Parts: sequence; C-alpha cells; structure tokens
Amino acid sequence: MRYVPKRAREDVNVSDVHPLAEAGTLIVGLTAIFLLIALALVFLIEIALYFVPAEREAKLFEDWLPEDLVTIAPSDDRLYEAQSLVDRLVSHWADPPYNFRVEVGASDDANAMALPGGLIVVTQGLLDDVSSENELAFVLGHELGHFKNRDHLRALGRGLVLTLFFAAVTGGDVSGIGINVADVTLRSFSRKQESNADEFGLAVVYAEYGHVNEASRLFQKWDDEDQSGFIAGGYLSTHPRAGDRVAQLRELAARQGWPVEGDVTPLRW
Amino acid sequence: MDATFETLNLFINFGLPLLLLVVTYFIGSFIESRHFQNIRAREELLHGFPVVSFDTMPADWNASSATMVTGSIVISLDYFKRVIAGLRGLVGGRIKTYEPLLERARREALLRMSESAREQGYDAVFNVRLETSRLANAGRDGKGTAGVEMLAFGTAVKLASRFA
Repeated sequence: MRYVPKRAREDVNVSDVHPLAEAGTLIVGLTAIFLLIALALVFLIEIALYFVPAEREAKLFEDWLPEDLVTIAPSDDRLYEAQSLVDRLVSHWADPPYNFRVEVGASDDANAMALPGGLIVVTQGLLDDVSSENELAFVLGHELGHFKNRDHLRALGRGLVLTLFFAAVTGGDVSGIGINVADVTLRSFSRKQESNADEFGLAVVYAEYGHVNEASRLFQKWDDEDQSGFIAGGYLSTHPRAGDRVAQLRELAARQGWPVEGDVTPLRW
Repeated sequence: MDATFETLNLFINFGLPLLLLVVTYFIGSFIESRHFQNIRAREELLHGFPVVSFDTMPADWNASSATMVTGSIVISLDYFKRVIAGLRGLVGGRIKTYEPLLERARREALLRMSESAREQGYDAVFNVRLETSRLANAGRDGKGTAGVEMLAFGTAVKLASRFA
C-alpha cells in the first residue's frame, strides 16, 4: 500500500454558517418566543384573577404583612392621619370589598404600594415630600384605584409566574435575559394600569374635596427634578413619565369639568 | 432620578451583555482566523509526513526504533460562543459556534504531536488516537466549563528505509 499525502479538508467538521447568522437567528427567534410567553402569562393571570374574587383575597390576606417591611412607630401621628384619610376617601367607593389598612414604611425613597388584602404602604420619604393633604389624598386615591382594578395582584402574579417559568424551563445564564425581555414587554401594560389608577385617584380627590387643586403637584415636583433626556425611558419604564401624568390629569379634570382651583387642606401633622 | 436608575438598570441588563457579545465576537473571530492561518501554514510544512490511524504498523514499514509521541492543547470558549450555544441549548440542534473551536483543537493537537515526532527525528506516526476531556470550572459549583483539552497520541517510528 502506498502512502499518498493529502491536505486536511476544511468543509467536513465545520458548518458553513456564519456565526453572526447563527446568533441573529437564535436571538430574534427566541426573543419572539419569550414575547409570546409573556403575553400568554398575562392572559393566564387574568384567568386566575377571575377565579379569586376580591372578597376571597381580602379574607386570605386579612392580617398579612410583607416580612421585610420596616415600619415607623405605631404611635406616629402620620400613620394615624394617613389611615383616617384613606378611611375618608374609601367612603366615596360604594361597597369596597377590602378593609383597607395603611402602613408607613421607614424608607426615605418616595413610594407607595398596593399589596394583597387591601394593604397600602406609603414610605416616610413620600410623606416628607407632600406639602398638603390634597397631594397625599391623590397618592392614596391612586393606590385605591389599583385595588379597584386589582392591579396589585397582577403585578405580583406576573413577577412570580415569570420568574418561576424561566427558572424552570431555561435555568442557567439564559433565564435572566428571558425574564428581562418578558418583563419589558409587560411594562406597557403596567403603564396603562398606572394611568387608570390615576383617573380613579383624581375622581376620589374630587369627590372628597370638590376640586382637584394640588392633586398632581407631587408629579409636577418630580418632573421638575427629572433632568434625564433619555428617549427610551418612557417606553421601558413601569410608570408613565411624571410630566406626562401631570398633563393627563389636567386633561381629565378639564374633560370632567372638575375645578382645578379651590382651598387646599393643610397637613395635620 | 427614577429615569437615571432605569437607564442604568437597562444598561446592566441588556446593554452590557450585548456589548460583551459584540466585543468578544470580534476578538474571538480575530483569534480564530489567526489560529486557522497558523494551522494551515504549519500543516503545509508537515505535508508528506505520514500520520495514520492503523493500530498495527503497515507491513512495508521497516522500523528501527519507536516511541510514543503526544500533542495536547487546552482551548477555551469565548463569551460569544458560550452565549449563542446556550441559546441553541434551549431549542436543540447543531452547536455551530463550537464546531470551528473543536476543529482548531483537533488539528492543533495533531500538529503538535507530528511536530514533536519530526523534531525527534522520527519519520512517521501510526496508531494515532484523539482523546478529549472537559476542564471543569471551580465557579458555579464546578458546573461551568473552563475549556476542553484535546490530546493526540500515537507511535512514532524511525524507518530504516523510507517507503521502499
């Protein structure tokens, strides 16, 4: 047998596909799949909400508090005033299924949350930011709007289901990217929810005070502080931009004929 | 303040991996194409040096001495290859980004083996075998892959009369 030297062939073991084509196909295809999954989950949560009526939710989470919530002293005037303000505002909501509880979180970041079972958490930072009762009433009314539309369960359910789904199916490096893609998709739903809650909040403020003066002042203040000119911010954020919200509220008040002038009630602490 | 945080968050979640993907793709393909050039040039120098996989020496080879020769390479994935392979792992199919990597490893290992045989004055190598092993990474519970080793070995012989 004669030895005939040959050169190595390069087309046997390496696919003739450009790595960027491979990357593009996978990234685009999987992003589309993740988007579809995110949308499917939204519908799943809607179905789940249908089977858990607000009355049952209220009963289930009657005395529930988040474990990591740090609150201010129960004897604090601000807690008492916030609770009694909520009680007054709720009187404009015919037959609410929840027994609303207010807690004041000891955080300095201005924030308010609607949590399962009719729990409203406002942070100390937010209470420091408001300068009149009308301002605070709008924030609390906005949270009541979330309960009215049951957004608080949607947000919670989506986060939970998304995390579980991607952790179970993908695991490893890719699950993080999947969650992020799905999460960003859901934010447009989230912004719509915030606008709806704003409308409910403003209606409650009008019912309580007979005018909507100062209701959107807090957003106005935040908008003035917000100097970032990042264009994509509006699309990717969970909340509409503060400036947009001010404009929307002004428009709503004009449409409903709610007066924007009126006596402002000072804070009681 | 909120928007700044959001932008930063966005950058960390999407921008950073994407930037890393682009950078490692360019660095990775530069290194890869340079390695292939180098492999081709060295293969050309060794052209005609017999490297065969028969497990017995061909009958017409008249060997005067023999030794085992080895060539080994440890080669690592880049971030781009790993991420794309990870995505591929979700849906299945050929992991195309790994194919050129392993091709490089095989040819480089064979080259090192052959070069070592020729440097020692041998005339041919038979019974050539390839072995591979995965090098586990200490991070992530030893589950990650630091790279693979490709080992080529065979029996090098000195021939009293070359292919008479």
